[in-house]
Amino acid sequence: MFDLFSDIFTYRDNALTRIDPRAKLLIALAALIAVVTAERIVLPLAVLAFCLGAVAILRIPAKLVACRLAAPLSIVAVLVVIQTFVTGKTPLFAFTFAGWQFTAKAEGLRQGTLLGAHVLGAVSVVFLLSIVTPAHRIFQALRWFRISRNWLEIAILMYRYIFVLMDRVADLAAAQRLRLGYTARGRALRSFTTLAGATIIHSLEQAQRTHDAMRLRGYRGTMPFGPLPPLGRRDRLILVSCLIGIAVAYGLLEWGVSG
Amino acid sequence: MKAIDVTGVHFTYDDGTEALSGVDFHVSEGEFVAILGSNGSGKTTLIGLLVGLLKAKTGQIRIGEREIGSLSAEELYQRVGLVFQNPNDQLFAATVEEDVAFGPRNLNLPEAEVERRVTEALAAVAALPLRCRAIHHLSFGEQKRVSLAGVMAMRPSVLILDEPTAGLDPAGEAQMMQLLKKLNREEGLTVILATHSVDMLPLFANRIYVLDHGRVLQEGPSEEIFCHQEMIVRAKLRLPYVSRLMYEMKRHDGVPIDGLPLTIGEARVQLLELIPKELIIAELEEKKA
Repeated sequence: MFDLFSDIFTYRDNALTRIDPRAKLLIALAALIAVVTAERIVLPLAVLAFCLGAVAILRIPAKLVACRLAAPLSIVAVLVVIQTFVTGKTPLFAFTFAGWQFTAKAEGLRQGTLLGAHVLGAVSVVFLLSIVTPAHRIFQALRWFRISRNWLEIAILMYRYIFVLMDRVADLAAAQRLRLGYTARGRALRSFTTLAGATIIHSLEQAQRTHDAMRLRGYRGTMPFGPLPPLGRRDRLILVSCLIGIAVAYGLLEWGVSG
Repeated sequence: MKAIDVTGVHFTYDDGTEALSGVDFHVSEGEFVAILGSNGSGKTTLIGLLVGLLKAKTGQIRIGEREIGSLSAEELYQRVGLVFQNPNDQLFAATVEEDVAFGPRNLNLPEAEVERRVTEALAAVAALPLRCRAIHHLSFGEQKRVSLAGVMAMRPSVLILDEPTAGLDPAGEAQMMQLLKKLNREEGLTVILATHSVDMLPLFANRIYVLDHGRVLQEGPSEEIFCHQEMIVRAKLRLPYVSRLMYEMKRHDGVPIDGLPLTIGEARVQLLELIPKELIIAELEEKKA
């Protein structure tokens, strides 16, 4: 759970963390557009391979990568299975289960694999961005791009209090475990629902206290954002090179190879 | 000149709990005042009233020369700052720098001035090296200091702290109290702290208000407050440990001590006065030999 939100790697000093967050956001956006509009599997998989390669070079522990990619991988698995058995006409193989006839189809498998590649490619881009850019720098960059202040304010508070609530949930869960709250299935369910309820109450109380604290420092409904300096020459160069690289890769892998 | 002037304040919560009843509370500029009371004595309610989070049903609260209700939020929070007991309630930005800059930016100050205030506030609480750190990566003691810096950046003339040493280890507790003493003595800030921790107060507070069940039981300098053992017990508090030891020695063993020492230094002087000098010299010579 803590691994899922850990941001310690964003504070390391490396070539990727040093790039301006605005440049990284634009590059990530271009990569995302390229991935989701790709009609062939090669480009999304190439992006996935590039991102995982970068992650490996940055020595991000495999456990963290697995933890972050577990949810999208399971979505991909479900997508591929559903598409394979629901879409298309050309049968690949068939089997019977509990009296039901299931037929896998070639078009469905192709469609499912492409969708899965889209998901994995896009998730890997966001994953790489999230491990080389601290969240507050992303929020700052988004504000620079004129994203709504209200949305960003909610995002900042959510991000900040995830860690506070996680600590509280961990303490509560440990207290339940120490009093045998998770020893039987029924008891575990009861403990878990109590924990969920307590967390909601904690978060409401926390929200009230935080709002009071914000008011005492002049908050009047809008959170102020600090300025960002103009994009440096080096960052502009990186941005332009990467955008060109993505465009060339898109052209080659989407049209060039097939052409 | 009065920094805070509270007269005859009553406050009752919506559920009917009477939290304060006829409280008078006066603090002069540059004073270091402690509000001492057990849990549920009304400390937090009084603080809530002083910073305008709660509104008194009856009575008068003046901040400086002005009635609290006549001050705009901007005016009020540049005069009075509150540091919460739990820093997590107060630190809502992602990084130290952003959090400390929150108040000055809300005052629409130019960015150069915001920058200056952030640097000064962090330097004042010895937290400059933490400037670029994420809040959730800080230790509890560091979070406490950063939350103090966040309030300092508003440049209030009165600093109110709710249980500033709660949750800190002994070293952190001493560091926090020394920091408050420095802000009070060197920067001239008026400091009001609500606490039930009695051991450090005699070293720092000019005056103490003892609160119990929403009423002021007693007010005065530490030596005057802590010589009323019965009142202290009635308020569900205790004497500082060193005073308790001397009190018990006086009561049970008849040791002739004048008044009650409140600090280790005072106790040491009084004990040395009781031991004949010749005995100490003889002991030292014996050791040398």
